[in-house]
Amino acid sequence: MTNPMTRRDFMRGAAAAVVGASAVFGQDRVPPVRKTRVVLIRHPEALDAGSAFNETVIQEMLDEAVAKLLDIGDPVEAFRELVKPEDIVGIKTNVWSFLPTPAPVERAIKRRVLDAGVEERNIGLDDHTVRTNPLFVKATALINVRPVRTHYLAGMSGCLKNYIMFAESQPAHHPDSCASLGSLFLLPQVKGKTRLNVLCALTPQFHGRGPHNFSRRYVWNYKGLIVGRDPVAVDSVGLRLIMAKRRLELGPAQEIPPVPKHISLADTKYGIGTADPEKIELVRLGWLDEVLI
Amino acid sequence: MRISGFLTVALIPAFLLAGGAVKDFSQQVPKQVRDWKASGPDAVYDRKTLFDYMDGGAEVYLAYAFREVFVRKYADADGNELVLDIYDMGSPAEAFGMFSVDRQDPDAGIGQGSEYGLGLLRFWRGRYFVSVTVSGNEEKAELAVLELGKAVAPLVGPDGAPPDMLELLPAAGQQAEKTAYFHSPIHLANRYYVASENILNLDATTDCLFAEYRAEGAGTARLLVVRYPDPAKAGAAAASFRKSFLPRADADGAALTESQAWSLIRTRGRVLAAVFEASSKEYAGRLAEAVLREPQ
Repeated sequence: MTNPMTRRDFMRGAAAAVVGASAVFGQDRVPPVRKTRVVLIRHPEALDAGSAFNETVIQEMLDEAVAKLLDIGDPVEAFRELVKPEDIVGIKTNVWSFLPTPAPVERAIKRRVLDAGVEERNIGLDDHTVRTNPLFVKATALINVRPVRTHYLAGMSGCLKNYIMFAESQPAHHPDSCASLGSLFLLPQVKGKTRLNVLCALTPQFHGRGPHNFSRRYVWNYKGLIVGRDPVAVDSVGLRLIMAKRRLELGPAQEIPPVPKHISLADTKYGIGTADPEKIELVRLGWLDEVLI
Repeated sequence: MRISGFLTVALIPAFLLAGGAVKDFSQQVPKQVRDWKASGPDAVYDRKTLFDYMDGGAEVYLAYAFREVFVRKYADADGNELVLDIYDMGSPAEAFGMFSVDRQDPDAGIGQGSEYGLGLLRFWRGRYFVSVTVSGNEEKAELAVLELGKAVAPLVGPDGAPPDMLELLPAAGQQAEKTAYFHSPIHLANRYYVASENILNLDATTDCLFAEYRAEGAGTARLLVVRYPDPAKAGAAAASFRKSFLPRADADGAALTESQAWSLIRTRGRVLAAVFEASSKEYAGRLAEAVLREPQ
């Protein structure tokens, strides 16, 4: 058993303790390090009054976020930094029927991959069959996109958990609060290929109930996208958002979703990214009303 | 109402009393409820195939003695969908547990315990746990959901006894609708985050109760009771908990925590009582002693 992070640790160290702060409480802070950039962008018109997605606005949000992520003014040029014309690009989406990746987000990504010069025949979009999909088997680049929501076992379903479909056995990753999800990024089919992670916070789900752990009561129109090259950092920011909303709606006793340890372990055990908020540069763009983080 | 109770039992088909397969519900459950008609084939999933139905959510049921689930979908002309799930949880205690662990909405008056909130009906009766969920217009579906639940409740009888362990809980101040019965650390984590690791060594062999208390004049507290297979395991779990959660506990096993509330742990025989966020040390001790009053 590793050193457990208890409820009391959380009380002492607030959110940073759960999302993976590396500093032990009471010790001096570590020296400044180069931070991993994550962009949170929101737009009040990303969804209309009927909660329908506004594809034009979503495209603008993605463009602005990726441009800022790479500090390149033109979004198409920014995407050319991410993918090359000769790449075979697999867009790993999520088709969970209750809260799938919004089609306008999928199309916005594909549009810019095409603009970057990748041939359409070399672009694939898949979820459940990525292990055997010929395009994903040959893929030289992956783009990881899915909504952010709570999960009964893992605490949060984000970009890390989205790659569970690359696993030979999904249940094998369920024990100990899905602690091993970070290892998915070390699979030969995946390792080193992820160019961009887009965590859709357009309609996040902050709590789950019922047989499929979904109820529309716990989904809200946040109208945001969380974008980064590091899936761990992106999920760390997503978890902070979920926790902030849970504290607001469910109260402090339920602020922490069930043991989201896989995010910090993706950093400390599997070394695939940065979970520590102290090492993440969170850039907020656009609409800031009720931004929560 | 002994007579009507007897009649109810007498009318239950023999295969149900004998523990028949849930697929038999296919013939008994209504194929239409208000504007919703059964759509597509019924389905049955067991412990091996439940992942095909609900992926990671299956672990929630597998942590109980779940056997199999009958699933029927209904659709209306507008494409709204109802999904009826009837879970055979293996025993009434397990069915009560599955219901209790995720309870948040007002009573719906169905079965032995129920709740309804926007688009979600949950109830238990006998060894069955039942849910009806809505995809689409939840408001429009409310009457149909409740009607379907009332039609299913007689099919899953007779009533069964909830876990005998509930008798360990002190009654004064107990928020009954917030009492959960479970076995696995998965369910404790969802009910109340204690630690990132399984510091109480919970597993399929442990029976757990988590209860909330608000006693007039005494204060508030959260109480976790765990019954282990033997005293040695209870003792080992208490030691693990003290080391991680209450390293500076006093001679009474209590400590004032960061929230300016008291936590405490005690054991007797194979039973462990842990109190969280008690408004006083005295109240924490009183709750624990009430649980541990009889040897187990």
